[in-house]
Amino acid sequence: MMPKIAIQKTDYSYDETDVIVFDEGLIGLPDVRRAVLVKLPDYQPFCWLAALDNPQTRFLVVNPHEVFPSYQSYIPAEIATLLRSNSQLPGVLAIVKISSDWTKTTINLRAPIFVNLETKRAAQAVLTGTNYRLDEKLPQI
Amino acid sequence: MLVLTRRIGEKLVIGNEIEVEVLAVSGEGVRLGILAPRETSIHRYEVFVEIQAANQAAEAASSKVAENILESLSAHVRAELNM
Repeated sequence: MMPKIAIQKTDYSYDETDVIVFDEGLIGLPDVRRAVLVKLPDYQPFCWLAALDNPQTRFLVVNPHEVFPSYQSYIPAEIATLLRSNSQLPGVLAIVKISSDWTKTTINLRAPIFVNLETKRAAQAVLTGTNYRLDEKLPQI
Repeated sequence: MLVLTRRIGEKLVIGNEIEVEVLAVSGEGVRLGILAPRETSIHRYEVFVEIQAANQAAEAASSKVAENILESLSAHVRAELNM
């Protein structure tokens, strides 16, 4: 049987091969090591990045290239080896800080998460030398 | 905390692979050179703490979000992007 993770009372099934591994955790959160990306068909283009070792911990994430078409990420040198892949470009996810006033929601474009889609290893990196913000406003708000 | 004194041009080694050299001192500023394996991430402490706080705040906000907020947020973004 496929393992499941419960988020807001809904059980989501995932496959072990879907598990994303952060060798060093997220920046400042070293315990977030294993997570799954849960797509939310009702709330596209957003997904949950749900930590497996602490089921209470999850992050709302989005592909920043989808929301900000002019967004230009680059792969910082320290994670280049991790992301090396024969066939695929890395996946990029930006962490969303949702607000109870949804118009005040912000998106972290400065420290995106990169995922090697072949090996499912991932890391959060800082895009130094850019003006991207940790709290970019939503487009057209 | 280990505290030690180094002069300009002197180094420390952390583990087997990380070297830190004092390159210059001027006024209150110290210029450091760091030699580390490529995959070692190095951040100014303030930057590290700022991103840590952003991650924690995003996590805290996610854990108590109401479905209707997600609904409005995603509808807005889809409308903006013509999805």
